Amino acid sequence: MADFALLHRPALATAKSGSFGAAFSNERITLTALPEGHVLHVLAARGSGDLTGLIPRIGDGSAHAVRAYGPGQWFVIGDASLSAAEIFGKTPVLDGKASISDQGHGRVLIGISGAAVEAVLAKGTAVDLALSNFPVGHSAMTLIGHISALISRTGPENFELLVLRGFAESLWDELIEMGLEFGVDAKTAR
Amino acid sequence: MASLIACPHCGPRPKEEFTVRGDAGITRPAPDAGEDAWHAYVYLRDNPRGRHKEHWHHTSGCRRWLVVERDTMTHAVYTVTDASAPGETA
Ligand SMILES: [Zn+2]
Repeated sequence: MADFALLHRPALATAKSGSFGAAFSNERITLTALPEGHVLHVLAARGSGDLTGLIPRIGDGSAHAVRAYGPGQWFVIGDASLSAAEIFGKTPVLDGKASISDQGHGRVLIGISGAAVEAVLAKGTAVDLALSNFPVGHSAMTLIGHISALISRTGPENFELLVLRGFAESLWDELIEMGLEFGVDAKTAR
Repeated sequence: MASLIACPHCGPRPKEEFTVRGDAGITRPAPDAGEDAWHAYVYLRDNPRGRHKEHWHHTSGCRRWLVVERDTMTHAVYTVTDASAPGETA
Protein backbone atom coordinates (compact mmCIF):
# COMPACT_ATOMS: atom_id res chain seq x y z
CA MET A 1 0.00 0.00 0.00
CA ALA A 2 1.23 3.48 -0.82
CA ASP A 3 2.40 5.66 2.04
CA PHE A 4 0.62 8.66 0.60
CA ALA A 5 -2.64 8.85 -1.25
CA LEU A 6 -2.11 11.05 -4.30
CA LEU A 7 -5.00 13.44 -4.60
CA HIS A 8 -5.61 15.12 -7.91
CA ARG A 9 -6.01 18.85 -7.51
CA PRO A 10 -6.93 20.83 -10.63
CA ALA A 11 -4.04 23.14 -11.56
CA LEU A 12 -6.28 26.21 -11.67
CA ALA A 13 -8.51 25.37 -8.69
CA THR A 14 -7.26 28.34 -6.68
CA ALA A 15 -6.47 30.71 -9.56
CA LYS A 16 -8.09 34.15 -9.74
CA SER A 17 -11.74 34.06 -10.71
CA GLY A 18 -14.39 36.69 -11.23
CA SER A 19 -14.66 39.79 -13.37
CA PHE A 20 -11.71 42.04 -14.15
CA GLY A 21 -10.98 45.21 -16.11
CA ALA A 22 -13.39 47.22 -18.24
CA ALA A 23 -16.89 47.09 -16.78
CA PHE A 24 -18.79 48.04 -19.91
CA SER A 25 -17.60 46.37 -23.08
CA ASN A 26 -19.24 44.36 -25.83
CA GLU A 27 -15.97 42.58 -26.53
CA ARG A 28 -15.60 40.86 -23.14
CA ILE A 29 -13.16 37.98 -22.84
CA THR A 30 -14.14 34.75 -21.12
CA LEU A 31 -11.40 32.59 -19.57
CA THR A 32 -12.36 29.07 -18.59
CA ALA A 33 -10.37 26.38 -16.80
CA LEU A 34 -11.34 23.31 -18.85
CA PRO A 35 -11.75 19.76 -17.49
CA GLU A 36 -8.50 17.91 -16.82
CA GLY A 37 -9.39 14.76 -18.75
CA HIS A 38 -6.83 13.02 -20.92
CA VAL A 39 -3.90 14.55 -22.81
CA LEU A 40 -2.06 12.01 -24.99
CA HIS A 41 1.10 12.95 -26.81
CA VAL A 42 1.34 10.84 -29.98
CA LEU A 43 4.69 10.51 -31.77
CA ALA A 44 5.08 8.92 -35.19
CA ALA A 45 7.72 6.25 -35.68
CA ARG A 46 10.55 6.95 -38.11
CA GLY A 47 9.48 6.58 -41.73
CA SER A 48 5.86 5.81 -40.86
CA GLY A 49 4.44 8.08 -43.57
CA ASP A 50 1.26 10.14 -43.39
CA LEU A 51 -0.75 9.19 -40.28
CA THR A 52 -3.36 11.96 -40.40
CA GLY A 53 -6.14 9.41 -41.04
CA LEU A 54 -5.00 7.09 -38.25
CA ILE A 55 -4.52 9.47 -35.30
CA PRO A 56 -8.23 10.41 -34.86
CA ARG A 57 -8.99 6.71 -34.18
CA ILE A 58 -7.41 6.93 -30.73
CA GLY A 59 -9.40 10.06 -29.86
CA ASP A 60 -12.90 10.26 -28.39
CA GLY A 61 -14.44 11.41 -31.67
CA SER A 62 -15.07 14.96 -30.47
CA ALA A 63 -14.52 17.81 -32.93
CA HIS A 64 -11.10 19.00 -31.72
CA ALA A 65 -9.73 15.81 -30.19
CA VAL A 66 -6.61 15.82 -32.40
CA ARG A 67 -4.28 18.81 -32.34
CA ALA A 68 -1.23 18.84 -34.59
CA TYR A 69 1.92 19.85 -32.75
CA GLY A 70 4.80 19.39 -35.24
CA PRO A 71 5.79 16.96 -37.99
CA GLY A 72 4.73 13.49 -36.80
CA GLN A 73 3.48 14.78 -33.44
CA TRP A 74 -0.03 15.33 -32.12
CA PHE A 75 -1.86 15.91 -28.87
CA VAL A 76 -5.06 13.88 -28.50
CA ILE A 77 -7.31 15.50 -25.93
CA GLY A 78 -10.64 14.68 -24.32
CA ASP A 79 -12.73 15.40 -21.22
CA ALA A 80 -12.76 11.83 -19.87
CA SER A 81 -9.91 10.81 -17.59
CA LEU A 82 -8.42 7.51 -18.74
CA SER A 83 -6.64 4.84 -16.71
CA ALA A 84 -3.20 3.62 -17.75
CA ALA A 85 -4.87 0.41 -18.98
CA GLU A 86 -7.33 2.36 -21.10
CA ILE A 87 -4.50 4.36 -22.67
CA PHE A 88 -2.38 1.25 -23.26
CA GLY A 89 -5.45 -0.34 -24.86
CA LYS A 90 -5.28 2.21 -27.67
CA THR A 91 -1.79 1.22 -28.85
CA PRO A 92 -2.86 -1.69 -31.13
CA VAL A 93 -4.85 0.82 -33.21
CA LEU A 94 -1.58 2.56 -34.07
CA ASP A 95 -0.07 -0.71 -35.32
CA GLY A 96 3.49 0.27 -34.35
CA LYS A 97 3.37 3.38 -36.54
CA ALA A 98 3.26 5.74 -33.56
CA SER A 99 3.54 5.66 -29.79
CA ILE A 100 1.50 7.30 -27.03
CA SER A 101 2.82 9.19 -24.04
CA ASP A 102 0.32 10.14 -21.32
CA GLN A 103 0.69 13.84 -20.59
CA GLY A 104 -2.50 14.18 -18.53
CA HIS A 105 -0.44 14.93 -15.43
CA GLY A 106 1.64 17.57 -17.19
CA ARG A 107 -0.53 19.80 -19.35
CA VAL A 108 -3.84 21.57 -18.80
CA LEU A 109 -6.32 23.32 -21.06
CA ILE A 110 -7.51 26.91 -20.81
CA GLY A 111 -10.43 28.14 -22.91
CA ILE A 112 -10.41 31.76 -24.06
CA SER A 113 -13.19 33.35 -26.08
CA GLY A 114 -14.82 36.62 -26.99
CA ALA A 115 -15.05 39.10 -29.84
CA ALA A 116 -11.58 40.52 -29.04
CA VAL A 117 -9.88 37.17 -28.47
CA GLU A 118 -7.48 37.53 -31.44
CA ALA A 119 -6.38 40.97 -30.23
CA VAL A 120 -5.74 39.64 -26.71
CA LEU A 121 -3.67 36.64 -27.84
CA ALA A 122 -1.76 38.78 -30.35
CA LYS A 123 -0.27 40.63 -27.38
CA GLY A 124 1.59 37.44 -26.53
CA THR A 125 2.35 35.59 -29.77
CA ALA A 126 3.62 36.45 -33.25
CA VAL A 127 1.44 33.79 -34.88
CA ASP A 128 -1.09 35.31 -37.30
CA LEU A 129 -4.42 34.37 -35.69
CA ALA A 130 -6.71 35.89 -38.35
CA LEU A 131 -9.49 33.44 -39.24
CA SER A 132 -8.28 33.38 -42.87
CA ASN A 133 -4.80 32.20 -41.77
CA PHE A 134 -5.77 30.28 -38.63
CA PRO A 135 -9.09 28.50 -39.35
CA VAL A 136 -11.21 26.53 -36.87
CA GLY A 137 -9.40 23.25 -36.13
CA HIS A 138 -5.92 24.72 -36.68
CA SER A 139 -3.26 24.50 -33.97
CA ALA A 140 0.15 26.10 -33.41
CA MET A 141 2.79 25.58 -30.76
CA THR A 142 4.25 28.96 -29.86
CA LEU A 143 5.30 31.31 -27.08
CA ILE A 144 2.71 33.45 -25.32
CA GLY A 145 5.02 35.96 -23.73
CA HIS A 146 7.63 33.67 -22.18
CA ILE A 147 5.31 30.68 -21.78
CA SER A 148 5.15 27.88 -24.33
CA ALA A 149 1.61 26.84 -25.28
CA LEU A 150 -0.30 25.02 -28.01
CA ILE A 151 -2.95 27.38 -29.38
CA SER A 152 -5.97 25.75 -31.05
CA ARG A 153 -8.92 27.46 -32.65
CA THR A 154 -12.23 25.81 -31.73
CA GLY A 155 -14.56 28.49 -33.10
CA PRO A 156 -14.55 31.90 -34.83
CA GLU A 157 -14.11 33.61 -31.43
CA ASN A 158 -12.93 30.60 -29.39
CA PHE A 159 -9.45 29.30 -28.70
CA GLU A 160 -8.02 26.68 -26.33
CA LEU A 161 -4.50 26.85 -24.91
CA LEU A 162 -2.66 23.69 -23.83
CA VAL A 163 0.02 24.70 -21.35
CA LEU A 164 2.43 22.96 -19.00
CA ARG A 165 0.68 22.47 -15.66
CA GLY A 166 3.28 24.41 -13.65
CA PHE A 167 2.89 27.43 -15.95
CA ALA A 168 -0.91 27.34 -16.12
CA GLU A 169 -1.57 29.84 -13.33
CA SER A 170 1.09 32.28 -14.62
CA LEU A 171 -0.46 32.15 -18.08
CA TRP A 172 -3.93 32.54 -16.54
CA ASP A 173 -2.83 35.69 -14.69
CA GLU A 174 -1.19 37.08 -17.85
CA LEU A 175 -4.30 36.40 -19.94
CA ILE A 176 -6.40 38.33 -17.42
CA GLU A 177 -3.99 41.24 -17.65
CA MET A 178 -3.88 41.07 -21.46
CA GLY A 179 -7.67 41.23 -21.58
CA LEU A 180 -8.27 44.05 -19.07
CA GLU A 181 -9.05 46.66 -21.74
CA PHE A 182 -11.94 44.52 -22.99
CA GLY A 183 -13.05 43.19 -19.58
CA VAL A 184 -12.45 39.58 -18.50
CA ASP A 185 -14.70 37.00 -16.88
CA ALA A 186 -12.47 34.28 -15.44
CA LYS A 187 -14.13 30.99 -14.50
CA THR A 188 -12.16 28.41 -12.55
CA ALA A 189 -15.23 26.56 -11.18
CA ARG A 190 -15.88 23.28 -12.92
CA MET B 1 20.32 39.11 -35.98
CA ALA B 2 17.49 38.10 -38.23
CA SER B 3 14.33 38.51 -36.18
CA LEU B 4 11.85 36.41 -38.20
CA ILE B 5 12.69 32.85 -39.16
CA ALA B 6 10.34 31.12 -41.61
CA CYS B 7 10.09 27.65 -40.09
CA PRO B 8 9.17 25.18 -42.89
CA HIS B 9 6.68 23.55 -40.49
CA CYS B 10 5.26 26.52 -38.54
CA GLY B 11 5.63 29.59 -40.77
CA PRO B 12 7.36 32.84 -39.79
CA ARG B 13 8.22 33.04 -36.08
CA PRO B 14 10.30 35.46 -33.99
CA LYS B 15 13.87 34.45 -33.13
CA GLU B 16 12.91 34.23 -29.43
CA GLU B 17 11.21 30.89 -30.20
CA PHE B 18 14.51 29.37 -31.39
CA THR B 19 17.80 28.20 -29.92
CA VAL B 20 20.89 28.62 -32.12
CA ARG B 21 23.41 25.79 -32.00
CA GLY B 22 25.92 27.30 -34.43
CA ASP B 23 27.76 26.33 -37.62
CA ALA B 24 25.91 23.65 -39.61
CA GLY B 25 28.88 23.07 -41.91
CA ILE B 26 31.20 21.19 -39.57
CA THR B 27 31.32 17.40 -39.63
CA ARG B 28 32.07 15.15 -36.69
CA PRO B 29 35.54 13.54 -37.03
CA ALA B 30 36.11 9.78 -36.86
CA PRO B 31 36.65 8.53 -33.28
CA ASP B 32 40.36 7.95 -34.03
CA ALA B 33 40.90 11.20 -35.98
CA GLY B 34 43.34 12.51 -33.40
CA GLU B 35 43.49 15.28 -30.85
CA ASP B 36 43.93 18.16 -33.31
CA ALA B 37 40.88 17.20 -35.36
CA TRP B 38 38.76 16.78 -32.22
CA HIS B 39 40.02 20.03 -30.71
CA ALA B 40 39.06 21.85 -33.91
CA TYR B 41 35.64 20.15 -33.99
CA VAL B 42 34.77 20.99 -30.41
CA TYR B 43 36.34 24.43 -29.97
CA LEU B 44 37.42 26.19 -33.17
CA ARG B 45 34.86 28.26 -35.10
CA ASP B 46 35.07 30.74 -37.92
CA ASN B 47 33.30 34.06 -37.51
CA PRO B 48 32.20 34.57 -41.10
CA ARG B 49 31.02 37.84 -42.60
CA GLY B 50 28.25 37.11 -45.07
CA ARG B 51 26.37 33.96 -46.02
CA HIS B 52 26.45 31.32 -43.29
CA LYS B 53 24.59 28.08 -42.49
CA GLU B 54 23.60 27.37 -38.89
CA HIS B 55 21.60 24.82 -36.94
CA TRP B 56 18.57 26.39 -35.24
CA HIS B 57 16.20 24.49 -32.97
CA HIS B 58 12.55 25.55 -33.00
CA THR B 59 12.43 25.10 -29.22
CA SER B 60 9.11 26.83 -28.58
CA GLY B 61 7.41 25.62 -31.76
CA CYS B 62 7.60 22.30 -33.57
CA ARG B 63 10.83 21.35 -31.74
CA ARG B 64 12.52 20.41 -35.04
CA TRP B 65 16.17 21.08 -35.85
CA LEU B 66 16.47 23.39 -38.83
CA VAL B 67 19.28 24.60 -41.09
CA VAL B 68 19.07 28.38 -41.45
CA GLU B 69 21.14 30.00 -44.19
CA ARG B 70 21.51 33.69 -43.42
CA ASP B 71 23.80 36.65 -43.97
CA THR B 72 25.65 37.67 -40.82
CA MET B 73 26.15 41.20 -42.17
CA THR B 74 22.76 42.09 -43.70
CA HIS B 75 20.62 39.77 -41.50
CA ALA B 76 18.90 38.50 -44.66
CA VAL B 77 17.58 34.93 -44.33
CA TYR B 78 17.99 32.94 -47.56
CA THR B 79 16.70 29.46 -46.76
CA VAL B 80 15.27 27.53 -43.81
CA THR B 81 15.03 23.75 -44.14
CA ASP B 82 14.48 20.80 -41.82
CA ALA B 83 17.84 19.37 -40.74
CA SER B 84 16.81 15.76 -41.36
CA ALA B 85 17.21 14.17 -44.75
CA PRO B 86 13.94 14.02 -46.75
CA GLY B 87 11.79 11.05 -45.73
CA GLU B 88 13.85 10.34 -42.63
CA THR B 89 11.00 11.24 -40.30
CA ALA B 90 7.25 11.41 -40.55
ZN1 LIG C 1 8.72 25.05 -36.33
